[in-house]
Amino acid sequence: MVELSRRAALALLGLGLAGTAMSWPRLTGGDIPGRGDDALTVALFGTAQDAAARQSLVEGFQRKHPGIPVRIIAVQGQDWGNFFAKILTMVAAGTPPDIVSVATEGTQLFAERLAHPIDEYVQRDAAELQEYFDDVNPSLIESFMYQGNLFQLPDNFNAANMYYNTSAFERAGLERPRDDWSVDDFFTVARTMQGSATDSFLPYFWNNRLWGGVVPWLYINDTSFLTEEKASGGDWLWSRFYPDETPRGGGYLWQQADALNERTVESFEVLQRMVGEGIAANPAQGGGNELVSLFSRGSVGMTPAGGFWVKGLHDAGLADDEYDVTFFPKMRGQRHQFGAGGYAMMQTSERKDEAWEWMKYCISVEGMSIAHAQPDSSLPRRSLNAQLYGGDVGPKHWEVFYDTLDRFPTTGPMPAPPQQAAVESALIKNVVSTITNGPSGVRRGLETMQRDLELALKGR
Amino acid sequence: MATQTAPTTRALVVPSGVPVRRRPQRGARLLIWVFLAPTVIGLGLFSFIPILGSFLLAFFRWDIISAPEFIGVANFVDLAANPTVRVSFLNTIGFVVVAVTLQLAVALLLAILVQSRMPAWLRTFFRSALFFPLVLSAASVSLVMSYLFNQEFGLVNEFLGLFGVGKIGWLTTGFGAKIVVLLVYVWQNFGFTFLLFIGGLAAIPKEVYEASSLDGAHGWTQFRHVTLPLVSPTMLVASVMAIIGALQIFDQPYVLTRGGPGDDTRTAVMVIYESAFQQLDFGLASAIGIVLTLLIVLVTAAQFQLSKRFVFYG
Repeated sequence: MVELSRRAALALLGLGLAGTAMSWPRLTGGDIPGRGDDALTVALFGTAQDAAARQSLVEGFQRKHPGIPVRIIAVQGQDWGNFFAKILTMVAAGTPPDIVSVATEGTQLFAERLAHPIDEYVQRDAAELQEYFDDVNPSLIESFMYQGNLFQLPDNFNAANMYYNTSAFERAGLERPRDDWSVDDFFTVARTMQGSATDSFLPYFWNNRLWGGVVPWLYINDTSFLTEEKASGGDWLWSRFYPDETPRGGGYLWQQADALNERTVESFEVLQRMVGEGIAANPAQGGGNELVSLFSRGSVGMTPAGGFWVKGLHDAGLADDEYDVTFFPKMRGQRHQFGAGGYAMMQTSERKDEAWEWMKYCISVEGMSIAHAQPDSSLPRRSLNAQLYGGDVGPKHWEVFYDTLDRFPTTGPMPAPPQQAAVESALIKNVVSTITNGPSGVRRGLETMQRDLELALKGR
Repeated sequence: MATQTAPTTRALVVPSGVPVRRRPQRGARLLIWVFLAPTVIGLGLFSFIPILGSFLLAFFRWDIISAPEFIGVANFVDLAANPTVRVSFLNTIGFVVVAVTLQLAVALLLAILVQSRMPAWLRTFFRSALFFPLVLSAASVSLVMSYLFNQEFGLVNEFLGLFGVGKIGWLTTGFGAKIVVLLVYVWQNFGFTFLLFIGGLAAIPKEVYEASSLDGAHGWTQFRHVTLPLVSPTMLVASVMAIIGALQIFDQPYVLTRGGPGDDTRTAVMVIYESAFQQLDFGLASAIGIVLTLLIVLVTAAQFQLSKRFVFYG
């Protein structure tokens, strides 16, 4: 065996140390472009391509603020919950971004734990922001308030509307439903479509998830699976920017499980009838990847989706006149569900003023137009939707997207308390068993859901 | 010319007959440590310290954002009372029993078939083809399978429909979802076990078969009394690895069913993930991880104990 002298061992050790020192930037990731720079770090939910697509937004921002370098970090995830988990990991690792794109699903989690309220900035720049608030429905703003403070400004949203395949309607001899169609009308339409179609046609396809799952069917019945209350506060915002509106309070509170509410039971019974009758899909958890192709090839008659789907269908080759969009049918009411997105400023950020400038730019006409040059989301600015959907790409009744807010003022965000991930998990894991065990199984399933929701909300 | 150095670690025999090992010289000891250092440092940094951290974390409440709070054994008390944790462990154990049995049976059967008389090129083809699923990403495979087993538009139901079978809710009924997760897992994982058996079967001397044939043993008798005992050491290794792997199942149920419907396909590792990254309860997740680790250690130890009775080392 070769012997190693002390001198040789020291030499090897020295070589190792020298090698480590030389590769230190690589070992620590310090050689990653932009890392360690004094730049405003913006984390968004998406791929590296999504980050690259935001480059024009960065360039637009830097034309106005040449002294603020910006670094975009794309964080990939399967869903918003996954994205938030990764942001939290960045926080735990001591490298939190300055500003994060946050959807309704995470608004209250961030507001409670991570985000910095923007009240003082909004009040400081109130005159500059007035035209933004004038152009934005207050329901969207309200969804980003928590415990009386404002945390985000919406720069995109998607309400759950009803997309329908016009070919399937024509084949069944159906006309576009009235805007105030009822759930009974929905059943009639679905049965008629099914009667005129082949075996592999499904009148209504839906996914088991928080957005576009059971919640729209609960909201149209003026109910939910959680109690809904409003926090106090927020008058500073309503009186300043929406003086003609009744003050809406300081944001939504979803604090109690309410799965056994009679109206909730009633809505689930409707879904059970749909699935039992075979006019609606039995939704698998986490499904939905196949929906675009099913809808575009005419295998699905109706499905819940928002403005974001216009781009998806266009990319799939569906012509604008091959589909259209309408409101969800009416039960007790016709309240709709939406999800919104915007940037949240992190408590830990040392560049809050720069972060605020970024937030303002992203909600400006220029910023919003650059960020959403294609119809991949409805825009909170009422005025911008016409150019987004009313031009070359979009369904005939694209106005439905924004009218969902304007015509139904109680339309609100999906229930997403700070414990959203646990709550969503408790909801979706019980939906299938609730609607697939016959009429008598509905209440039994909801009892389990109630128990799981109570556990999820209670935390530990 | 360099003088040749005598081996430094050779065993010596002292007059009493007891072998003793001479300590390696200092230079050789240094060299040993130099060679070991990368592995020791790597294991320490990326395995032992995290394991220790996870063990300590089980006694804390920690949500990443706030400072950890020491809560003693409360996490273990909570997990014992948590119905989802209980169901997930029962699901995992049930899954392991069926999946490992299937995995070993299918792998052994196919290994015997592939080792039987066939052209060399065909044998090579089968070896590669049967191993191939293992190199695929479990998430991608599961995603494709979710399309195939879709109740309304999946190819599996389309095919069964040709024989008059109605649309089966493969992923939307408890039984169906368990079957699909099981099939996808076994299909993807039996390849490694299959290769182990190929090696084990190849190591059995032909003379043993010839001798048993002369004694009148053929077919099942030969398999029962010759093949099975001689392949039992491989069976032990394969079963230990299969059980450890199956106890950690995550990808397939996560992508195919997200643990549903209800908790029907929720597994222990899924609950660890959900506790940590969805509910931000890293203490509880660590406690579940420790229980799962103990379960794996216990099952493996039991296997080695049982192997003394069932494994034949020739």
